Amino acid sequence: MSHAEKATIFNKNEAKVNWHDKALWYVREKRDNAAHGVKEWEYLRDLASAIKANVLSDLDTYLVEFEANALKNGIKIHWASDAEEHNAIIGKILDDNKAEKVVKSKSMLTEECHLNPYLEAKGIEVVDTDLGEYIVQIAKETPSHIVLPAIHKTKEEVDELFQEHLGTKPSNGNPEYLTNEARKHLRGKFLKADVAITGVNFAIADTGGFVVCTNEGNADMGSHLANVHIASMGIEKIIPKEAHLGIFLRLLARSATGQPITTYSSHFNKPAEGKEMHIVIVDNGRTEQLSREDFRASLHCIRCGACMNTCPIYRRSGGHSYDATIPGPIGSILSPGKDLTKHSSLPFASTLCGSCSNVCPVKINIHEQLYKWRQIIVKDIKQPMVKKSILKIAASVLAKPKIYDFAGKSARFMLKHAPRFMIYNKLNAWGKARELPEIKNENFDQWYKINRKK
Amino acid sequence: MVQNKQKEIMGRDSILKAIKQHKPDLLPIPEIDGARFDDDVNLLDIFKHNVALVGGSIKEVDKALIDIEIKKQFPHAENIVALNETSTLGTISVNKQTDPHELATIDLAIVNGAFGVAENGAVWVSEKESIVRVLPFISNDLVIILLKEQLVLHMLQAYHKIATRDRNFGVFISGPSKTADIEQCLVIGAQGAMSLTILLV
Repeated sequence: MSHAEKATIFNKNEAKVNWHDKALWYVREKRDNAAHGVKEWEYLRDLASAIKANVLSDLDTYLVEFEANALKNGIKIHWASDAEEHNAIIGKILDDNKAEKVVKSKSMLTEECHLNPYLEAKGIEVVDTDLGEYIVQIAKETPSHIVLPAIHKTKEEVDELFQEHLGTKPSNGNPEYLTNEARKHLRGKFLKADVAITGVNFAIADTGGFVVCTNEGNADMGSHLANVHIASMGIEKIIPKEAHLGIFLRLLARSATGQPITTYSSHFNKPAEGKEMHIVIVDNGRTEQLSREDFRASLHCIRCGACMNTCPIYRRSGGHSYDATIPGPIGSILSPGKDLTKHSSLPFASTLCGSCSNVCPVKINIHEQLYKWRQIIVKDIKQPMVKKSILKIAASVLAKPKIYDFAGKSARFMLKHAPRFMIYNKLNAWGKARELPEIKNENFDQWYKINRKK
Repeated sequence: MVQNKQKEIMGRDSILKAIKQHKPDLLPIPEIDGARFDDDVNLLDIFKHNVALVGGSIKEVDKALIDIEIKKQFPHAENIVALNETSTLGTISVNKQTDPHELATIDLAIVNGAFGVAENGAVWVSEKESIVRVLPFISNDLVIILLKEQLVLHMLQAYHKIATRDRNFGVFISGPSKTADIEQCLVIGAQGAMSLTILLV
């Protein structure tokens, strides 16, 4: 199904779509407030972008440096070319430790690698411990947003899920009650876990350490209690120096949720005495994206989700309509690099308004890359007949001023005089759930001719 | 076993080879002009403002009155770990060998903060201060004792301050644990500590 078809399904519940739209725009506004309060915000973005560009230009050197420093500190390093290798490596670590119970904190990479189903098939209990991820896990869904995984769920839906899975009392979706019940349940899981799996926000080449950011404290509850901590990271998570965290941590949470920093920014450098720490470094298509000059900068992404919160398409189509691990504008430039045929509709799920690029803390030219993917897709992938013929007609109309003038005048005449059913029907997508503008007086061309004489 | 190891080595080499092949020409690391972030502001005021903003509570107290203040705020706490040298409220002692699971029933942890960051209300707490890594997270409530002259303006200065530390584990803590995963409603008290109180001495 294309993005547009999936978005149509999401749009069946208009009240929910309106809520989704407003809730995310509110997060965008919080981001603005936070960003405007920082002296030299734009300089921070410039620095972050330049550091990431440097990283990509010397990535192999930084990875080797990171590995050497981490090994010195007693961390074990593994390399995985693809999702299958990633899962096999983690499976083996679990086997070696005779692990049966795993707690996970948020990691989009393990979602990308479909680690949960792999581990479950091995008979291992896997619990996602970020509240939003826990909600989508028990709902047997996937996150619809990278920072707000359950943003597509209403509190009443969460209430019902918790009644079924946690035996909670009906509460009309009381967030405090439900969060506290989840806390109690997850405490038990943390205390019994053999292995904790986390993601990595930043891996630091010059120290061999890594940083994990959460608001809930779930990554720390898991990793400090379990005997074994496994952290999965994409190769692009590297930054050269620890001092650079001073740039990235100032940008990350402000861009994501408008907080000045996440509640916990945890710095892991050595395993605690008697414990094991592993890092799995994963490629899974990233080196291929690195080879594409036009799309390379998509690897700058620090997964803040700001581009989703601001995107008029994402806000009104929902994360699941993208049918990809990373939805929204950034996902729409990453996913086609992995499977162009499957994700060919995503670069078109954009108005190219550029809002995503404006808020991106590492200055990825997202909307320009969306446009570039479109150029490739219309050449390589068969386009729907309707789209092709409409574009052909549009091209011929736009190429002939007289026909264009006539078409414009007819449209204006129709909007002014035709009965509603002729305008607001299936043939006119622009009339769906919206009123078309009122037509007044002459068009620009006529106005200009009259006013030039004055 | 051997086969698996072999595959991992192949993974490493093939990834590094692919990067070498595909990476662009070397781009420079930018110089950071730290002076551009300087701001002539009252660190203490900004720090207090931001601790409140992130859901923490903060109070200046006389060093001799720390325990009285804590007792007043947490009258029902029974299982207490106190790692501040002037507090005598501790009922449970911990050391590096303590099994972290034993701390599951801790009501209150009192730890020293190394320094605070004004721009975001965060406090640096490393293994040196918490002894057991899980302590500041697993405790129901958390009190951090901080010297009020130990403040920096922003994170670049913060990293300068911890540049030569003994690197094992450390965390910037900004407020109590929280979540907004149910319909974007902010709830204080997720998986980590339910509250954070900073006492400035």
